[in-house]
Amino acid sequence: MAVVEIKDVVKDYVEDGEVVTHALRGVDLRIEKGEFMAIAGPSGSGKTTLLNLLGALDTPTSGSVRIDGTELAKMKAKALSDLRRDRIGFVFQAYNLFPVLTAAENAEYVLELQGVSAADRHKRVGELFDRLGLKDLADKRPAKMSGGQQQRVAVARAIAAEPAIVLADEPTANLDQENGRALMDMMRELNRDRGITFLFSTHDAMVLERADRVVHLVDGKVATDERSRAA
Amino acid sequence: MRRLLAMAWHDLWRRPRRTLINMSAVGVGLFLVILYSSLMAGFMGSAKDDLDDTGMGHVEISAHGWRAREEPSKAMTDPQALMARLALPPGSQVGARVVGRALGSSAHGNQGVEVDGVDPKAEGELSAYFNDVRQGKRLAPGDDKGVVIGEKLAKKLKLGLDGRLRLMVQRADGEMGAGLYRVRGIFHSISPAISGERVLLTMPASQALYGLGDQASVVIVQLSHPEQADDLAERIGSALGPSFDVVSYGRLLPELKKMESLISVMQLGIALFVYFLVGLGILNTTLMSVMERTREFGVMMALGTRSRRIVALVFGEAFWIATLSVAVGLTAGLLVSWFGQTHVLVDFGKGLGEGFDFAGTTMRTAVKLKLSVPAAIQASVLVYALALVVGIYPAWRVTRLQPAQALRAA
Repeated sequence: MAVVEIKDVVKDYVEDGEVVTHALRGVDLRIEKGEFMAIAGPSGSGKTTLLNLLGALDTPTSGSVRIDGTELAKMKAKALSDLRRDRIGFVFQAYNLFPVLTAAENAEYVLELQGVSAADRHKRVGELFDRLGLKDLADKRPAKMSGGQQQRVAVARAIAAEPAIVLADEPTANLDQENGRALMDMMRELNRDRGITFLFSTHDAMVLERADRVVHLVDGKVATDERSRAA
Repeated sequence: MRRLLAMAWHDLWRRPRRTLINMSAVGVGLFLVILYSSLMAGFMGSAKDDLDDTGMGHVEISAHGWRAREEPSKAMTDPQALMARLALPPGSQVGARVVGRALGSSAHGNQGVEVDGVDPKAEGELSAYFNDVRQGKRLAPGDDKGVVIGEKLAKKLKLGLDGRLRLMVQRADGEMGAGLYRVRGIFHSISPAISGERVLLTMPASQALYGLGDQASVVIVQLSHPEQADDLAERIGSALGPSFDVVSYGRLLPELKKMESLISVMQLGIALFVYFLVGLGILNTTLMSVMERTREFGVMMALGTRSRRIVALVFGEAFWIATLSVAVGLTAGLLVSWFGQTHVLVDFGKGLGEGFDFAGTTMRTAVKLKLSVPAAIQASVLVYALALVVGIYPAWRVTRLQPAQALRAA
């Protein structure tokens, strides 16, 4: 079964009753478990809009979005919240760690929302930090970390609750080449070792090179959908 | 919940200067409410609690019709038996008096005076000035030829210790009566009227002077809790029946009661104004904090945080502002009020002396505060309630956010 399946999705932005932007114009996409794929396209092509729809952060004007076989249009706000908490991990361009929490507390955040006990949270996040080489950052607040470190903690937060898919919106955009590569290596490792599905929106050629599948969006439509030979 | 409160706490200190300024404003507001209420309680409390400065009771019992003209002929018989019948709250003081007008004369002049015939033992508990004898000695039981007079009266009549004072009265039978007495002591009173007109005699001496036999004019009751006066007066009045008039200080001194009501209204008005400002302070901090963090709330929503938890976070911040403000305001309010109970912080007595007669009683010009811990706690609880109420609007704004829109916020 596909982790994500969208059919004929249209998204229009409306202001004062008038459509001001046709962000997506009938997109079909199917993402299987374990994929490591990217959505590419110029600014305004609809990448972020598509990611928002896949992440249950927004609703389509028409069409169907299914995550783990569940049709999002039928779900209420509370159920959508729970779906995001349990099935979707997010990595943002600007890291967006909570500044008042330490790195470990940030990573534990979703587990806490899930009602996981404190002892279990500490154990799971401790193991994850060990594995990702973040142990030394555990007690640091975001302000004391570099951009690369923050983004790695953000990835830890996204995968701590073992979601079905991690959606990363231009995750390397604020990082230098070296940190960008290190981050991609880390996510690739998690994809291979744990079978976590990753979907990136990106302009970054380095990210596109490493993706197994690249979907190009142009003017809100899928222009190409290519799989690399390695995949 | 602990994590939420911890997050709310840290959120508050992202902008420490703003938090400190707003917290100080709210704290100062609470401090002023507590201080003002202590000041007013002290001002009114001294007038109510210290009715013994004027010799008044919180409840007074007299024969029916006596109070209208204070005629000796309208006295009550056997006051001792009546006092024995009264079921009074613990801590109450009770005593009988003969009260009448007289013309006091010395070798140097005449002065209209008020004669109080008292039982010295009981009166020591009823009248502050009875004990505050500045020259000579207090009135002693059995000293039926002695009087104790106020300082101002002594000055007017140029009387010193052992001086002779003649009192001329209209007796209960309508005839004229007179007696000659020696000044045993001169008392001090903060009330200009009492100091200038009052003469204390023993009960038997005054009964003999007015021809009253064993009768008395009035029975005075003073209470540890003056607020019980109205209920007690009503209860005693019902028990004694129509041949007695039983009145509380509220009826004796309606102006005092009115002033009490006026001060309560003023206190409420000032408190409402201060709380309005306090509310604005909390609203400002919470709303600014929420508006600045729209994107962060978007991230929370994206990670699966339900609205209820985000609302709780906003209320958590309001809770901490209230807690910090209450800690500052309540501590300062309690400390200053506590200090002001034993030290005079407000003295508006320039030219008025120690006290002034007002509304039938004596107001001290040097006001000591009267701390009411329950009132201070009530004021603090109000700050919490206000924090929660004004937290509703920022919390409501957060619930209106759409995750995708919130993530786009700068």
